Amino acid sequence: MAEITIRVQTAPFDAGALTLSVSGDPACGAVASFLGQVRSDDAVTTLELEHFPGVTEKALDRIAREAATRWSLGAALIVHRIGPMTPGEPIVFVAASAPHRRAALDAVSFMIDVLKTQAPFWKKAHTSEGSSWIEARQDDDAAAARWLTGE
Amino acid sequence: MTLTVRYFAALRDQMGKAEEEVEYDASTPRQLIDWLTERDGRAALLGEPFVRIIVNQDIVAADHALNPGDDIAFCPPFSGG
Repeated sequence: MAEITIRVQTAPFDAGALTLSVSGDPACGAVASFLGQVRSDDAVTTLELEHFPGVTEKALDRIAREAATRWSLGAALIVHRIGPMTPGEPIVFVAASAPHRRAALDAVSFMIDVLKTQAPFWKKAHTSEGSSWIEARQDDDAAAARWLTGE
Repeated sequence: MTLTVRYFAALRDQMGKAEEEVEYDASTPRQLIDWLTERDGRAALLGEPFVRIIVNQDIVAADHALNPGDDIAFCPPFSGG
């Protein structure tokens, strides 16, 4: 059974420590990860992440378990921050370990692509001009659909 | 029957509230939206196809059968990551 770790937290995280946390299985020769950071788009001073408590954790757990099954992972981890953060700060971290690199890399792509459209998070961008909700991107839908429809 | 209705993110701003309890025998979310819209025209947005409806923590369709005490959340498209 793969080791599944899901965390939704306001505190920043240490990507190095999280990577090490999925690297303990000697049967897994590959550890892959993705670190998302707050981008300094359009004079954004603060990005505020809101989520749907309970539903988010269930969605992330389902995504990690599906990746673990599909790519026979040793471990799958998803950490997503909520609350206010500033450009350059870490916002999301996804990691997977597997016997070989292709499975680990594909599992990480799958988890971050699907997370964007299947987990109830919303972003509000604050600038000196005011605040606005960031709309979902159509290419995110396309990226998730690529995995979910098996194309 | 009593229903808990919740609005997230941009829909919360649109509705001017995060949550409310309503007393109405809605058989489906669709019927609930119609009733909410009659009460306040701003709720018409809840019927848009991009809105995700989550009842008792599960994503459902607009014709999902509602029960007394259900927790119904209206969510704009997700934009995490």
